[in-house]
Amino acid sequence: MKRVQFEHSAVPYLFIAPQILIISIFFLWPAAQALYQSFLLEDAFGMSSQFVWFRNFEDVLTSSSWTRSAIFTVVFSVLVSVLSIAISLFLAVRADEVIRGAKSYKTLLMWGYAIAPPVAGLLGIMMFNPLMGDLYKAFNSFGFEFNHIENANDAAFIVILIAVWKQVSVNFIFFLSGLQGIPKSVQEAATLDCKSPERRFWTITFPLLAPTTFFLLVINLTYAFFETFGIIDVSTKGAPGGSTATLVYKVYVDGFLGADMGGSAAQSVLLMIMVSVLTVFQFRFIERKVHY
Amino acid sequence: MATVTLNQAQKTYPNGFKAIHGIDLKIEHGEFTVLVGPSGCGKSTLLRMIAGLEGISDGEIIIDDKVVNTVAPADRDIAMVFQNYALYPHMNNYDNMAYGLKNRGYSKAEIDAKVREAARILQLEDHLERKPRQLSGGQRQRVAMGRAIVRQPKVFLFDEPLSNLDAKLRVDMRLEIKNLQQRLGITSVYVTHDQVEAMTLADRLIVMNGGVAEQIGTPIDIYEKPASQFVAGFIGSPAMNFLKGKVSDDKKHVTVGDGVMLDLDHVVEAGRDVTVGIRPEHLELLKDGEGQINAGVRMVESLGAETLAYLDFGANADNVTLRLQGTHKFEKGEKLSLSVPASKIHLFDIESGQRI
Repeated sequence: MKRVQFEHSAVPYLFIAPQILIISIFFLWPAAQALYQSFLLEDAFGMSSQFVWFRNFEDVLTSSSWTRSAIFTVVFSVLVSVLSIAISLFLAVRADEVIRGAKSYKTLLMWGYAIAPPVAGLLGIMMFNPLMGDLYKAFNSFGFEFNHIENANDAAFIVILIAVWKQVSVNFIFFLSGLQGIPKSVQEAATLDCKSPERRFWTITFPLLAPTTFFLLVINLTYAFFETFGIIDVSTKGAPGGSTATLVYKVYVDGFLGADMGGSAAQSVLLMIMVSVLTVFQFRFIERKVHY
Repeated sequence: MATVTLNQAQKTYPNGFKAIHGIDLKIEHGEFTVLVGPSGCGKSTLLRMIAGLEGISDGEIIIDDKVVNTVAPADRDIAMVFQNYALYPHMNNYDNMAYGLKNRGYSKAEIDAKVREAARILQLEDHLERKPRQLSGGQRQRVAMGRAIVRQPKVFLFDEPLSNLDAKLRVDMRLEIKNLQQRLGITSVYVTHDQVEAMTLADRLIVMNGGVAEQIGTPIDIYEKPASQFVAGFIGSPAMNFLKGKVSDDKKHVTVGDGVMLDLDHVVEAGRDVTVGIRPEHLELLKDGEGQINAGVRMVESLGAETLAYLDFGANADNVTLRLQGTHKFEKGEKLSLSVPASKIHLFDIESGQRI
């Protein structure tokens, strides 16, 4: 076999240059900066700094607040992803069955997508405002002693609720198009082979949606990790006592509010490592199982 | 083995469109029935009604002695083969065939025996572990047939199963389907728009048009005695020639074109305007100018085994197609002299299109 060898020219490099430039400026350079900074101990005003090797990492990993934030982030991300995927799958399956008025119905379900995370956070926290929030009043009138200002679980509940609500519409769009991509005749063949609609769903429809579900899992975990920043910042600001601060939010709080640049940089480096591991895991072990 | 009976089966869609206008039909044990017609004639709708994929608006569908109007598709004991195969892409071929059996609670051993038997019949033994996408179109269609036969259903339904295959494979699969159906003796309903499939496969043919069964009969009956101008034009390729005609005063002849008189083999009321139908293969070419019909050659298609000549006939240059065995050489504009036996002339009412 003779390998085809194209003539070398600068053209292909020119084509990828803009992309490389963007990645370099907005990702590689800041990442390198963060890595460098994570080895430094800086005074609060940035006047002097000292190279301290891994002391920032030691501090971070041994601090109870970071561990708590890490645990919260994992629980939060898993709950947000699983709940928003499950709810939107349910809605999409129902919407797919609707024939009359389908278009307006589907458009309404997609609207949430157009809302920016901070706005969603604001809407959410207003609904739980102790003075005028309808949901706050409703929960308490049902006998729950709901108090997100003091109770960490209640605060987490609010953040998860807002994050899920915001994400459902995105997932819904993908699931709906995924469902519409399943050939009608395959569904019909299944109705001849299997009487129970539930069983049909789990043995035919759901496996055929698996690639979509996997894609959404990746997207949603990333969303829960990073994009919920706006929601948290507007709604709870990590309160009470940092119990609803995800790792990203904690990076911001410690670095920009606490002025601990070294510690914050070390946290963001750890975050980068975690996300890389997660991504590799997802693609190596899950993706292989979902594609048919 | 089962019978399928339709009593005034009707289908009206919510928007008021009437797809099926009341069809009466009885399909006997082991009979191979073909529904044929142009697209939009309701043949697929009728098949899907038997399958239960479409509801029935009025009338009855009976499988054996049981009215199945509201019975779920899975409980009708039917199996269907779809045009685009409709295999489950995430399952291998074995599981595709086993799926219906699993859901009906067969034991693992029974399922295995049935699937392997079906695979043996359809020569799919080497492909059971593969996914459908790894197979060719013909093999996929075999898996779809396998999925239908493993259950040994009362009725087979085929919805244009060969339309997605290339021409050669279509002929092979056609023979295979016919073979399989005769061997298993399962009552079958087959939908197609391809009249060659219809003629070759059918024990009984149903020609549909606009939601109505225009004619029901054996393929040869329908070919020889089409009940209407529509059926006459639809069955037979190339299509039957139609000419405007008028029955002569002696009631034994019909005049076409510029006063050309053709003999009739039965008596028709004098002076009646009719449509005269003559199949291209029933026109006979005469050596010398003795024939009743004279027409000029417009175009010739030589297919080797046969020759098709497209002719201009009469003052209006009506199109007439002539089909001859073997090869013939004609010049463009050459005058041909033709005749047709009285028994091969079909007359249709000019208004209703019904056979006279």
